[in-house]
Amino acid sequence: MKTLRLEFYKIRRRRVWLTMFAMLSVQLLWGLWALRNPKDWELESGWMSLLYVLSMLDGIMLPTMMAVLASRLADIEHKGNTYKQLETLRSAGSLYHAKAVCGFLIITALLLAQLTFFIFLGFRLGYAGTPDVAHYLLSYAFKLAGNLSLFLLQLILSMLFANQMIPLVAGLGGSMAALLLMFVRTYSFLPWGGILSASLVGSTWDETTRISSFYYRSFSPAETAAVAMIFVWILIFYFAGRFLFTRKEL
Amino acid sequence: MASKNLIETHNLTKQFGRVRCVNALHMQVPQGAVYGFLGPNGAGKSTTLKMILGLSRPTAGSITLFHMEVNEKNRIRLLKDTGSLIESPSYYGHLTGEENLHILQTLKGCPAENIDEVLEIVRLNDARGKKVAHYSLGMKQRLGLAAALLGFPKLLILDEPTNGLDPAGIQEMRKLIRSLPSAYGITVVVSSHLLSEIDQMADHVGIISKGNLVYQNTLDALHSHARQQIALRTDRPDAASALLRENGINAKREDDYLLFPLTDDSHIAHLCRCLVEQNIALYRIEKRETSLEDIFLSLTGKEDSL
Repeated sequence: MKTLRLEFYKIRRRRVWLTMFAMLSVQLLWGLWALRNPKDWELESGWMSLLYVLSMLDGIMLPTMMAVLASRLADIEHKGNTYKQLETLRSAGSLYHAKAVCGFLIITALLLAQLTFFIFLGFRLGYAGTPDVAHYLLSYAFKLAGNLSLFLLQLILSMLFANQMIPLVAGLGGSMAALLLMFVRTYSFLPWGGILSASLVGSTWDETTRISSFYYRSFSPAETAAVAMIFVWILIFYFAGRFLFTRKEL
Repeated sequence: MASKNLIETHNLTKQFGRVRCVNALHMQVPQGAVYGFLGPNGAGKSTTLKMILGLSRPTAGSITLFHMEVNEKNRIRLLKDTGSLIESPSYYGHLTGEENLHILQTLKGCPAENIDEVLEIVRLNDARGKKVAHYSLGMKQRLGLAAALLGFPKLLILDEPTNGLDPAGIQEMRKLIRSLPSAYGITVVVSSHLLSEIDQMADHVGIISKGNLVYQNTLDALHSHARQQIALRTDRPDAASALLRENGINAKREDDYLLFPLTDDSHIAHLCRCLVEQNIALYRIEKRETSLEDIFLSLTGKEDSL
């Protein structure tokens, strides 16, 4: 707990929160633009379309945000050569754990802020009814898990490499690959594809009426496996990161 | 009976690939000592200190700290009573000096007042609220020492602590290190590649060369190895050498000089008189000392830099 508290103390004046919320603001503005001036028929399925748009925006932007977050958290240690002092006071494993939990809490707050904004937006736009609590909660949980898996992957790279360009490029490359794969099929086992695979809403486009209709997806076995893979990635990345960081000699 | 050594290493070895950086080291640091760990660059000093602190895993051998063999389970507990400054100071540049110390104070679990005390000792009180990124190298080094001193540990491990300090700062650091055992009961291990530095700070010395501990004893014992000789220069060295031999002295010829072990003043006066009586012109007579530097070089090999 002490080590975790210090993780937040250490990022004072590093503008980690500011950077994250600035990036989130871009996503919020994008969302605002995409959902502006809804037609009457769009208001009917507004809450569903909101989840659909959100998962698209998340798939595009959140992997980059996770790479930046992990980099900001790890970079302070590389810059000041602090591990060689910290590891005489705490085990490498507990330092790694504190970093991972710190990141997790920031992601939780970030996604909560995002969700609150979009729900507020939905009400302002006049969507019919209220958001489907079960689907919104499930969507939040999947998104949290997807981002946590990406953050842990990025944390491994950011903690092992002093040059933060390496993890950032890996993060961007991975998210591009996952996006491209999603044009081919609706799921991906890649860590960067988890957020899009777990999208709860699908859409169909009617060429004659030029209207999109939305529906809650029922996952095929392959899609279910892709979603389950998110949780497998979390375990793999957490333990691999802990092992590699603990084994690293200073 | 328990050993009086705070640190003992047994056959401590570190190998990177095929290169053996530290070879079967038996280091013994007595309690209350300022132990100078001396060796040329790349001799294995930092690697050894890192192994003692658990930052690097030994390939073979063991380490005893505070009379207990260190293992993965007790490492952090044993290091609780240890402060360290390895290679360069560790710091968060975006935080102030005081905030940096607050992090370590929290992790060490020592009283907050310790921060004021150590800042006072290293004379960083005025810069406590300044971001460390704006500190000079010397100030960062002093902050590193303050961090190591937090909690006033029983053992302090300092790797080249005078790096980056100006001459006044070096002098001050030496004085401080020398005072730590008597003022705070701290045992200090200080590494350096500079013999003169260790000579002025330490009372015990360990000399490492190419991973091997080639000498370990008190500094006084090392000083006693220093030899004193008389060097004599005359116009006819061969005749002078024969005359010295007649007086029971076997002199060694070195360039234009004849060298022989130091003898008392009356004997020297007698030898000079004999040389003059034999019409041998006496140009110079000098007392020469084999310096610690010469001893160090003979132990570590002349090809290594100091």
